[in-house]
Amino acid sequence: MTAAKRRIVPEELSNPSWRVLSFIFLLLAAFVALLLFPVPEFKGYIDPFYSPLILLLPIPAMLRLTCYTFRRGYNRHVFQHPQACEAANRNDDRSRDYTGETTPLMKIENLHRYFVYGSLLILPFFFYDLFVSLTYGGGFILRAGSILMIVETALVTLYLLSCNSIRSLIGGRNDCFSCMHAPRARKGVYDLQSFFNSHHDNLAWLSLIFVVAVDLYIRALMAGWPIDFTLFKIVGI
Amino acid sequence: MKKISLGIYRQDPSADRKGKIVKYHVPVEEGMVVLDAVRHVQENTDPTLAVRWNCKAARCGSCAAEINGVPKLMCKTRIEDIGDDITVEPMRSFTLVKDLVTDISPAWAVARSLPHFHPRQRSVHPFRIEEMDVERSQEFRKCIECMLCMDVCHVKREHNTSYVGPRYIVKAASLDMHPMDSLDRSKFLDREGGIGYCNVTKCCQAICPAHIRITENAIIPEKERAADLFYDPLMMLLKRLRKVKD
Repeated sequence: MTAAKRRIVPEELSNPSWRVLSFIFLLLAAFVALLLFPVPEFKGYIDPFYSPLILLLPIPAMLRLTCYTFRRGYNRHVFQHPQACEAANRNDDRSRDYTGETTPLMKIENLHRYFVYGSLLILPFFFYDLFVSLTYGGGFILRAGSILMIVETALVTLYLLSCNSIRSLIGGRNDCFSCMHAPRARKGVYDLQSFFNSHHDNLAWLSLIFVVAVDLYIRALMAGWPIDFTLFKIVGI
Repeated sequence: MKKISLGIYRQDPSADRKGKIVKYHVPVEEGMVVLDAVRHVQENTDPTLAVRWNCKAARCGSCAAEINGVPKLMCKTRIEDIGDDITVEPMRSFTLVKDLVTDISPAWAVARSLPHFHPRQRSVHPFRIEEMDVERSQEFRKCIECMLCMDVCHVKREHNTSYVGPRYIVKAASLDMHPMDSLDRSKFLDREGGIGYCNVTKCCQAICPAHIRITENAIIPEKERAADLFYDPLMMLLKRLRKVKD
């Protein structure tokens, strides 16, 4: 066994570069900001970071940290293993220790599916929050923020359901669809999920952007920005 | 006729301690690929230039090289797509034989170490396989073994670990997903094949000339299968219970 293999924490974290430190600082700063300046709800808009409970935030946070898409992102741009594929911009070399996902700490990546299961339990709250925003004040009301939330909910749902662990669960781990019950239906579901899975990278980033956008939108409203215009309203159904 | 500047890496390891990029000026016509320009140099300027090629149709994988630092097939890279100043170098993950030719034979040793096709017991010959079951492993049959994925993989190129490399994860996945095969190679890949070294940066998938979705359809599914076997306590328990039941 090599010295690199005996590591518990990878070299990138035990001897961090400014990129790693900046990344960790940003994550911590975001978490502290969410705790210190809470905006759980404003005028029927429930902030996604506080729904149902800010204390559950580590579950979706770990979902994204162990997600294959974001692994690619930080392995390239934070750890620089490698930064790019072409020779001139790889910024990776033989002198740097590399353990990949073999150290005990990084083996947590293999438990990604459990964070998926946890996040699936949280997913219905996105729909509940959307329902609350659309029925604010009784009746039906479509505001600019609700449109943002519709897009956010759709993207988060597609992101979660197009996950690679779910792909494995619903058929990826099977070698023979025709040997199973309802083979055509199962293969159909697997193919449909695979279609969305092929867009998983885009869905991952877009869903993250929209979750943050909804949070910032609610904070902007709280700060008094006049941006929440009503598009459509039915009073008292 | 328009001319381009073509830099070619030149080194004969038996004579030169260091290699160098030698610049040639090559006349080009519309539709020419990099291999045409390299052969023009070989035929008209310097016949000692070593280059390996065969089909010139992106089917044999022989002319793999690094073009402007990106691993590509010389026969599939059109000159008009990459500009007038082109540099061609050999694949850096492999030992140099001469100029643009590298020794890819160590990869065959990896191929031999993979558990081979092992048909299910009581399978009837010839195999009858449903179309829906062959789709996934058929994608991996498109591989032309050009070894560009092995060249671009930082785990092979910069870190020289025990990782078998993307080409052989694809090979293992093609066998694992074969409906008549009875083995699960994810155990081999996790314990001996070093699949944990892959950090899914997807360079192999980005440069594959056969457009195989290497990371998404081979590496990640094999990582998930390995997680079933060694890291997911629930799946490990279920597998054990199933074995007891059998």
